Amino acid sequence: MVMKSGGFYYGKKLLLFLFSIFLLSAVIFFISRLAPGDPLVSYYGDHAERMSPEERQWAEEKLGLTDSLPVQYVHWLERALQGDFGISYKYKRDVTEVIGERMGNTLILGGIGFCLIFGLALALGIFCAWREESLADRVICKIGTVTSCIPEFWMSLLLILIFAMNLKWLPSSGAYTLGGTRDLEDRIRHLILPLTAVIMGHLWYYAYMIRNKILEEARADYVLFARSKGLKKSSIVLKHCLRNVLPTYLSLMAISLPHILGGTYIIEMVFSYPGIGTLAYESARYKDYNLLMVLSILSGITVILCSIVAEIINERMNPCIRGNHIVEDTEVAER
Amino acid sequence: MREQFEIVGMLPAPHTPIEKKRKWYQGKPVFRTILLVLIVTGCFACDLVMTKEPTYLDLNHFNSAPNREFLFGTDTMGRDIFSMIWYGGRTSLVIGIVATAISTAMGIIFGALSGSMPDWMDKVLMRLTEILLSVPGLLLVVLLQAVLGKANVLSISFVIGITGWMSIGKVVRTEVKGLGNKEYVIASKCMGGGFFHILGKHLTPNIVSSVMFMVIMNVRNAIMAESALSFMGLGLPVEEISWGSMLSLSQNALLTNSWWIILIPGSFLLVTLMCVTSLGNSLRKKINQKDSNL
Amino acid sequence: MRELLEVKNLSVSIDTPKGEVEAVRNVSFSLKAGETLVIVGESGCGKSIMCKTIAKLLPPSARMKSGSISIKGEDIAQYGEKEMRRLRCEGFSMVFQDPMTSLNPTMTIGSQIGEAVRVHEPGISSQELKKKVIGLMELVGIENPKERKKMYPNQLSGGMGQRSVIAMALAKDPELLIADEPTTALDATVQAQILELFREIQKKQKAGIILVTHDMGVVARAADRVGVMYAGKIVEVGTAEEILYDPRHPYTQGLLRSLPWFSRGRKTLYTIPGMPPTLIHPPKGDAFACRNAYALQIDYEQEPPMFPVTETHAAATWLLDKRAPKLPTVSPEKEIEREEEVGEEILLDVQHVTHLFPMTKKTVVRAVEDVSFQIRRGEIFGLVGESGCGKSTLARCIMNIYKPQKGKIMLNGLDVWDSKVFSANRKLLQRKRQLIFQDSDSSLNPRMKVWEIIAEPLKIQHIMPPRGSLREEAAFQMHYVGLDPAYLDQYPTELSGGQRQRVAIARALVMEPELLVADEPLASLDVSIQAQIVNLFRHLQQEHGFSFLFIAHDLAMVEFLCDRVGVMYQGRLVETGSVRDLFSNPQHPYTKSLLKSISLPDFRQQTAGRTGSW
Repeated sequence: MVMKSGGFYYGKKLLLFLFSIFLLSAVIFFISRLAPGDPLVSYYGDHAERMSPEERQWAEEKLGLTDSLPVQYVHWLERALQGDFGISYKYKRDVTEVIGERMGNTLILGGIGFCLIFGLALALGIFCAWREESLADRVICKIGTVTSCIPEFWMSLLLILIFAMNLKWLPSSGAYTLGGTRDLEDRIRHLILPLTAVIMGHLWYYAYMIRNKILEEARADYVLFARSKGLKKSSIVLKHCLRNVLPTYLSLMAISLPHILGGTYIIEMVFSYPGIGTLAYESARYKDYNLLMVLSILSGITVILCSIVAEIINERMNPCIRGNHIVEDTEVAER
Repeated sequence: MREQFEIVGMLPAPHTPIEKKRKWYQGKPVFRTILLVLIVTGCFACDLVMTKEPTYLDLNHFNSAPNREFLFGTDTMGRDIFSMIWYGGRTSLVIGIVATAISTAMGIIFGALSGSMPDWMDKVLMRLTEILLSVPGLLLVVLLQAVLGKANVLSISFVIGITGWMSIGKVVRTEVKGLGNKEYVIASKCMGGGFFHILGKHLTPNIVSSVMFMVIMNVRNAIMAESALSFMGLGLPVEEISWGSMLSLSQNALLTNSWWIILIPGSFLLVTLMCVTSLGNSLRKKINQKDSNL
Repeated sequence: MRELLEVKNLSVSIDTPKGEVEAVRNVSFSLKAGETLVIVGESGCGKSIMCKTIAKLLPPSARMKSGSISIKGEDIAQYGEKEMRRLRCEGFSMVFQDPMTSLNPTMTIGSQIGEAVRVHEPGISSQELKKKVIGLMELVGIENPKERKKMYPNQLSGGMGQRSVIAMALAKDPELLIADEPTTALDATVQAQILELFREIQKKQKAGIILVTHDMGVVARAADRVGVMYAGKIVEVGTAEEILYDPRHPYTQGLLRSLPWFSRGRKTLYTIPGMPPTLIHPPKGDAFACRNAYALQIDYEQEPPMFPVTETHAAATWLLDKRAPKLPTVSPEKEIEREEEVGEEILLDVQHVTHLFPMTKKTVVRAVEDVSFQIRRGEIFGLVGESGCGKSTLARCIMNIYKPQKGKIMLNGLDVWDSKVFSANRKLLQRKRQLIFQDSDSSLNPRMKVWEIIAEPLKIQHIMPPRGSLREEAAFQMHYVGLDPAYLDQYPTELSGGQRQRVAIARALVMEPELLVADEPLASLDVSIQAQIVNLFRHLQQEHGFSFLFIAHDLAMVEFLCDRVGVMYQGRLVETGSVRDLFSNPQHPYTKSLLKSISLPDFRQQTAGRTGSW
């Protein structure tokens, strides 16, 4: 295979990305318009219900609701491109503003969680593969299978019940103590439990994948040959097996980022952690469509971006050596 | 001993039967299967197991810890948790099964289509599934649920079902693709075997085992999704009892430290999920059968 | 002189779900420095496991039960991984069968060779290392080492890959080199070059080499001494000459006789009847007895010891005992001229067929290019060439699987790729052409019973089985191809490779085809089984009178079986002719090199003259 020049390659990916986002926004726009609920409510709030028919007519015309859906979409797109996504019904403020406030918190929880999962899964996977079928490996595998079966929200509840309610070691909700000093230590204390829940929920899935991939590699003939060359076990595992597993792992992690962030949503909710997750939950519960739509588009963008990154990793890191599928089929099932 | 050196020629080798070292049940999750059967029969025959009316709000005994009358205690609304477990378990299992039936049907149709389409079409369809697959499932469900309106058992199964077919679709597609290149399929085509002959005789029997694993995992995922949705209050309402909706009371329970409201339904959920998982894993193709070279 | 390697009473067993397999049973042998010992035996005889035991690379399910292994007087039987690593670093190398799997696909050749060098000389500077890597690549005959070392294994041909593997083995200046079927995965011409390379290494490095193979040709080409293995035991050892010209064990004799050149000009190949025993409960006495027409009573009761024949030659068979009766000498069969039964009518006419595979938008692989040949009714046409030369693609074009971009394929005067002609004659075409694949493993549906597989074409074509039910028809066909009808209700995975290939043949014959196309039907079978299948082909062809396109890479089998031969090279048919003409007077340089690679001049002449003595 001839490698195409970098610029062309990334340009193509960028175009693909933009096109996907456009498609996504259209789909979400139409779904949200199909949804039951009065769009005027989301703009004028409770006031909409008390409007006279004339007022309604005027308001609908002003908002362009009398136009056909495609025209409405074009209008929406125009405004969206200028950064105007409408107003949140519940918060009575610009959607972008509301989201902006919460974004940081989610990124901290999700980001740290993601990095920890990434590193720990690698370490745990290698450890288990190294000691395949040993007592340690078996015990870890058993525990891992059990933890991967625990629904995240229940795990969070358990953590609160044990460490916050009964042992009273750690706070059970929020990002800071109310009226507290808002220092780093306080922040960390508030992060520990949600972070544990995030990690416990995902860790084993990835660690197990690493373990199995390495073991699969360990069954290849080249490992036997590397041993006969006189290489150490450590250099065979780290330099040969891991090297062949890494591209798959990296691309899997890339497309898993939205998953892990998505997983934090429900955990945020249980811990009343002020992030995007609680926001999404509220917007879905209180039918705050403007907000929900932007949140959906936001996660859509993350998803598409990540899947393109995964694709690039796959195509660039392993050029024409073997066709690794982005996600192995049986692994998907365990989500 | 002269006769020892007579030519006798080829004699049939004495047949020594190879005795099986392993019993049939070894290496299979017997204990967990029995446990699962117990839970499932308990749930479907809940009328026989229940000691109380699960929907009855006993205002005299709300939030009481497990005791002789209320084996697993009562919840914050005074309902008997022991009865609710079986009664609600039935709902959860039904949702799991119906949702899986929907996603299996969709997955098989989609996978078979994609696998037998021309290459570019296949690529487009696969890109679509991959994107759908990486969208956080919950978000998709929330969106759809918003479209469908008030949740009931059927609508929630539907929503979970149509958001969960992608993994099955991918497996079916891979298998269909792989089998299309298998020599026995080519041979059958050469002999003049039609599409339906190949589908029935060659494809289906060879796909079943790998799809079964995915199907079982889908049951698990559907039960998990239902519980998460109902817990968040986006799925079944509190009055409609399921394991998820029982757990939706746990925020209140946390305030009073009523552990039984959280622990007991959750444990039942967890045990069921684990049993289903290990059942699925035992159906899975063994990957590490060869010896390690390390 | 001290022995380089000495193995005594080595026994190895493997745990399998079916029971404990006694893979190696009480094996003893020794190897001197600068000597090549070839271990020859069929698959499953334990030769590979034995090598891995010596190298201490056994899988966890296998274990060494008894015996001692010493290298230069050092007993390594109890060595752990750490001590073994020291030995491996110091000059104990191995080469495996398939270079494509023994190289890490994601590392360049250069860095993999470098790794081996660094293990041997940990302190080496990167400049030195580079030099050494290039030197090694030159040593094993890789041209352009500076560019090649940046290549990944999949960019190299099989022969090049095996050379790089050997380079890694040589990086440590080995004193002992164990090569496990190093030429099996390679094409005939490349095999010869690799064996040549081993010879050179042996001379230059004074290394002791153990070469494991199933191919008697390798024995003739590379061996100083030979050990013949059967059912986990070494049944005969001797110098190459002694084994080739004066084999004493009936198994060795059988192996040599089942080579096609032995039966040249005869109707059938010599075969060893039966199959090797399973080693879960190895038979009492001589394991070969139940395949030996002259087995003695004692063979079934007591294990034969090694009877020395000369100082270097010994064989484990009771026939060498003083008390054993003298065997009647086999009188050489008269050379029978094969009757020419080939008619003049042309059945298959391939005209200027070209088939290209698009790789990317711009590049194409020319799998088949402008190939023309004819097969007459009742003729056996052999198509030979190395792997990747396009012969399988051609077969698939003939079978209406790949559509050729150019050219015509006429069967019985019908243009098979003309859609009108095809749909008008669909049934006829589907019945009259049948295909047999290389790998019976994947050409039989693992979820169908044997009788269902054989009867499948009848069912598809809605043909009333001539012998009552489908099942009875299947039973008849099985009997016909020499399979026990007891297998009717079994699944293909429960059969051995040879049996599966018979099932595939039965499936093809059930339609009574006029043209049978067999795509490398022997490639996945053992030598003695190959001979059985070739005999079956010849027998069936005579009974049925079908025309037969036999695709193979094994020239010897083609020479034995076919009437005419075509040689393919890089997508083109470079030479066609009758077997006799082509083999005695090849024209194209590729044909010449192909013939040279299989010819074993002195070995062949001398043995041909001596066949009568055994």
